Amino acid sequence: MISPTRCSLTVPTRIFSLAANGSSRDPNPPSEKAFVTADVTSFDAIVIGSGISGGWAAKELCDKGLKTLVLERGRDVAHIKDYPTANLNPWELPHRGAMSRQQLKENPLISKAAGYGEDTAHFFIKDQDHPYVQEKPFDWIRGYQVGGKSLTWGRACQRWSKYEFTAPERQGYGMNWPIGYDDVAPWYSHVEKFIGVCGNRDGLAAMPDGEYLPPFDFNCVEKHLSEKVRAHYGNRYIVQGRWAHLSQPKEIHLQQGRGTCQARNLCMRGCPYGGYFSSNASTLPWAAKTGNLTIRPDSVVHSIIYDEAKGKATGVRVIDAHTHAVTEYHSRTIFVNASALNTNLILLNSTSRRFPNGLGNDTGLLGRYVCHHNYRAAANGKIAGFEDQYFYGRNPTECILANFRNLGKQDTDFVGGYTTFTGAYRERPEPADRVGGAYKDALAQPGPWGIYMYMQGETIPKQTNHVRLHSTMKDQWGIPLLVTSVHYDDNDEKMIRDWLAEAKQMLEVAGCHAVETRDNHQAPGLDIHEMGGARMGSDPKTSMLNEWNQLHACKNVFVTDGACMTSTGNQSPSILYMALTARAVNHAADEMAKQNL
Amino acid sequence: MNRREAVKTTTAFLGGVLLTSNGLLVACARDTSNASGKILTVDDQSLIEEIADTLLPTTPASPGAKAAGAGAAINLLLTDCYEPDVQERVVNGLTEFRRTCDKRTGSSFASLPKNDREELLREIDLQAQKAGDAHYFGLVRELALRAYFSSEIGKTKALRFVLVPGKWVGCVPLSPGQPAWG
Repeated sequence: MISPTRCSLTVPTRIFSLAANGSSRDPNPPSEKAFVTADVTSFDAIVIGSGISGGWAAKELCDKGLKTLVLERGRDVAHIKDYPTANLNPWELPHRGAMSRQQLKENPLISKAAGYGEDTAHFFIKDQDHPYVQEKPFDWIRGYQVGGKSLTWGRACQRWSKYEFTAPERQGYGMNWPIGYDDVAPWYSHVEKFIGVCGNRDGLAAMPDGEYLPPFDFNCVEKHLSEKVRAHYGNRYIVQGRWAHLSQPKEIHLQQGRGTCQARNLCMRGCPYGGYFSSNASTLPWAAKTGNLTIRPDSVVHSIIYDEAKGKATGVRVIDAHTHAVTEYHSRTIFVNASALNTNLILLNSTSRRFPNGLGNDTGLLGRYVCHHNYRAAANGKIAGFEDQYFYGRNPTECILANFRNLGKQDTDFVGGYTTFTGAYRERPEPADRVGGAYKDALAQPGPWGIYMYMQGETIPKQTNHVRLHSTMKDQWGIPLLVTSVHYDDNDEKMIRDWLAEAKQMLEVAGCHAVETRDNHQAPGLDIHEMGGARMGSDPKTSMLNEWNQLHACKNVFVTDGACMTSTGNQSPSILYMALTARAVNHAADEMAKQNL
Repeated sequence: MNRREAVKTTTAFLGGVLLTSNGLLVACARDTSNASGKILTVDDQSLIEEIADTLLPTTPASPGAKAAGAGAAINLLLTDCYEPDVQERVVNGLTEFRRTCDKRTGSSFASLPKNDREELLREIDLQAQKAGDAHYFGLVRELALRAYFSSEIGKTKALRFVLVPGKWVGCVPLSPGQPAWG
């Protein structure tokens, strides 16, 4: 198993020696004093954040021979070694997977996150450690550790369709992206091959095909659902989703030390098989193997340093999470991958005489056009029959009903589209006699089949939906608190109503009875798909980033996490962040070679 | 049988013996001390385990709630994971249960023959279904099911749980009597 170069901030000498190992710049044994010398604090590139996009930035930069420092505000999490619950049986967890009343009381916000439980809570923050101000209700879900939320992500990897890049302007609800599907397609391929994505090639305009490993099978009811819906509507396709799981690893995955997904569906504990993609299992150890990587956990980034004379950013100011000591690191280029809202926070906090309102923020647009995915609506129904059919294993993937709304042209009273996740399962039986041996044995049998659906809807980027720095309140590191001011609008409500009606009808078309639909009214943010604030665009007057994810006004700073999103589309966004990151690093390396950066 | 299961079975067996002798003692003096800082007293824990084991008894197919150590698990879950008002409803409910049992049968629940225990639970369950969520028995059932089906015995002997399935097969025939996946 490959192990990445790691260092702890509390052992500065190790950082030095590891950097020296990688670069052989300084063969002398380091001292405490040496820690702050230019040699250890200077790199070709600094990546802020080690999550799904930061890990990709690190891998691509290191592959190109660039000495790279990854700054992670949270603790170190080494692949396998730091997955304490990965191999526990359910009954070996103290409360069989449930959180204690005390822990829930202390963490009313983070405990709402999907997948949060006794077996995964250590990969989420604790509420009290990281306050922010909700001007409007917003559940900001965070995972501060090496690997970030790539440990706990949903793993869905659909490509954006060409329509999603252009729909906002075409249908009048936003601005065009400075790039289109064809610009990203080769980078999608690049990422898919490396991380391993399983799925079918379905030939759908709404969800383009990529480089796929074999998909997970439908179960018999999912097959039935897919056939019924397609037969009834003609143009509604329920297909295998595309997921970052190694259904059949290739050489490139074996080289990463990863193996076949074992269908445990315990992914969010961290996978000891490397069966799904995470920074920890894949990009970070890969980057470390080049000898070009230094990771510093426990490094809270305060701001990016701008040098007015040079007209560019020269480094990053870091606060030790524990000692609060401040260190500055320098590099030729900086990738900001701190997670969408933290990236906004860092840029807003990076003030200088040239940029009094935040780095690159000449227009006042930084922090604006924050958007998310709408996960409010869900439906389920029971379906008779198929009792003699079952499945084996725990499927870590779901089926996807590709978007069929406003595709290419507007055909509803709202704008934007929605992806629908769906799947079939067997319920627990409900025996009539509720006492005794026959009851217990009946409860242990598979019950009737059910089908669930839930939506992932596009939301409209709006200038009014924003984040900003609080004028007085600060966190324990003296960094201003983030204020969130994001809410739903009428378009969201219309989309929800449409989805609920369509889902009910589709479940009935499939032969379901007892169909139930619901709007959970969850706050924005709980989707964990927050995006925008530093959107890409062709015009520096209306956007923060150019077509290569560079700040228009400070070209050696790249933003390639969710903050860069011009619109939300309806696909799960992580793989787009990865593709944009790889594309941006390629551009950065070219520009550095040409001495343009 | 692996080592852990062997140990657990022995413990469960010894536990059964102890509880029986304890049950005899209870006739003269109830043990109302709390089980190691838990919400339920030693007595209440044995009573709720008796109820759980009547709901979910050992059958030829699988060991029951008592063998699965449901009493201790219920006490732990109730103590750590449930709100004080729910805890109170369960504790008061068990007192009411004792009273009802004594009134109907003149003896303690544990000492009743199996059929009488089942009959009493069916009767109370009917009342609970009529009364809705406010009735304690729904909670007792929830705790029993939760503790049993999350236990090693419940997960592996009643249901089937495989930590590492190794593969996913979407559609396979279900053989008659095949348990559900845990």
